[in-house]
Amino acid sequence: MGMQVNAKEILSLLYYNRDVVDFLFGNRDSVTVNELLSREDITAEQYQKLVAHDVLYEHQQVVGLNDAVIAMFEDFMEIGEVTPSFINDYINELKRNIRYYQEGNEYRFLRSIKKYLKRIGGAISKEIIKLQKNVDDTYKNEGNYRIKLQKLEDYRLKRDTIIEFINRANEMIDETRKLFELTNDLELYGIVSSLRNILIENLDYLIEIQTDITDYINKIQFQLDVYKKAQHIKEIKDHGQLHYKTNFKEVVLGLNPLGFNGVKSPRTKISVEFLHTDDGYMLCGRIAEKYKITRLMARRLADKLPANFKDHRVEAFVKLDTQTLLEKFLKQNKNLFEFLMDFKFPKSLGNVTFEERVTLFVEISMEFDKQLDFKFTLNWYDFEDDKKQKRKIGYTLILPKKVKEKKAA
Amino acid sequence: MDIKLPKQTHDIFAIMARGHFISSNGTKDGMNRLYDIINEPENFENLQNYFGVIKYRIERGNNFFYFSKVDEINSIVEKKLETFEKYIDIIDLFASMDNKITIGSRFRTGALAEECNANVRLKQKLQKIPLYRSETLHNKVREICDLMSRDSFLEREDEASETYKVLDSYAYLLDVINAIAIYEEGGTTEGTAGIIYN
Repeated sequence: MGMQVNAKEILSLLYYNRDVVDFLFGNRDSVTVNELLSREDITAEQYQKLVAHDVLYEHQQVVGLNDAVIAMFEDFMEIGEVTPSFINDYINELKRNIRYYQEGNEYRFLRSIKKYLKRIGGAISKEIIKLQKNVDDTYKNEGNYRIKLQKLEDYRLKRDTIIEFINRANEMIDETRKLFELTNDLELYGIVSSLRNILIENLDYLIEIQTDITDYINKIQFQLDVYKKAQHIKEIKDHGQLHYKTNFKEVVLGLNPLGFNGVKSPRTKISVEFLHTDDGYMLCGRIAEKYKITRLMARRLADKLPANFKDHRVEAFVKLDTQTLLEKFLKQNKNLFEFLMDFKFPKSLGNVTFEERVTLFVEISMEFDKQLDFKFTLNWYDFEDDKKQKRKIGYTLILPKKVKEKKAA
Repeated sequence: MDIKLPKQTHDIFAIMARGHFISSNGTKDGMNRLYDIINEPENFENLQNYFGVIKYRIERGNNFFYFSKVDEINSIVEKKLETFEKYIDIIDLFASMDNKITIGSRFRTGALAEECNANVRLKQKLQKIPLYRSETLHNKVREICDLMSRDSFLEREDEASETYKVLDSYAYLLDVINAIAIYEEGGTTEGTAGIIYN
């Protein structure tokens, strides 16, 4: 049992810890003690205080709000489980108070009678709203179809219970009409007639809910039946008889959704003007990205030149010069490989290494193959590699085209 | 012709012209909102007239919409039949699960694969569905889910856990199944209505 407290203390306790209470109300039955204590808005001390006051309870490391607190919130928000028993309690209370009043015509009993009459009306309306919400929620969100069916059946029972209570309330009003008339109390008269209206209205509403429940159950049943049929069809299909034992073909060919008929979504070409706008530029960029089209890749400003860009110049120069080299080569009669090995490059290029010369050989032979005479014979060239070791490299004999066949020197 | 159109007309067209369904319980790209917009009687009529000009028709199902084309030519008969044969395989698998996957169901691909792995019957079913890649059961399940999401019957709710939700448009497939007539002597299936072999 928690400590003795009064309403004000509970209120201030709840208010002081309102964030925690709200958090726990939103995450019922899923928050562990550690999780809760890791929050910034509660200390271990505060937690102990809440537990001591029975606002929180702890069960196997899981923290929950006191059911009474949850019930209070749910009551106000008209959510939560349907609890028709409240109506029953009120009806019984009403009965008791009527009995007292019949014994001794005291005003205090009349006041209670009024109170419970009002409460019955309120409770019935509230329960029915909850019922409707729960039925919808179950149909839409309950993933397990067996439980879904059971839950819907349960709600059907609860609906029946509420109807029964409405009838009982009605009967009671009828029975005690004489008594109420005797009191000559205008307020009581008003309460009773409004309760009557509420009862009639809610009875209509319940019939609607009943239709909904039946409808939902039927839909689930339909799905189950269709599933059974699907399994049957699958069996037929597995036996290779789908097209002979069923009208599968006719049915499927008659279907009209676009997606199944190969209808492509209509394509419109983008206007050139649009492509010149900023949006068009972005679009081009995205498309280029998607299909890896370099042509469409947005050309941006070049990066800053690196400080050592001069070192890379040699390579760039040699690459660019192949055309001139070729012309010089065509004017003489050495084969291409030897020509390149012996060629005196301009001094500004510095020392052109063996590897670079080989690269040039390959480059020229590939790029200008039309103007070259490939002999398809292998010649050998001796050279020293970086480690001063003697090595041999084989190369294709390539001569200038206009020159007649001539053996390498 | 001056028609007052909802401002989401473009979005609606973009989805449905691709051959996709708009379901009331879909959440991606505000699908449920689009559904509500089409479902408004005034909007529905206006959109119907508007799209009618380019020969598209909005078709209404139970909690979903889709496009059909007026005077379309049935050009891809083979492919259409093939697609639905695959759907039959998939629906049969969903129907045979212990916890049947149907409209509104949520499931994780991992859990589905696990169940198939534990149950020989399901395992066989899954393995026999003709798919492109997928050596493992889990990959097969993934591929099925991809396929069904592409056709807008499923929606991936959570990337990390690979949780999928079955959309209302799935009812369309069930309607198709329901429409297929089986020619057989004697109504042997009548008595067992509601019970599914598992």
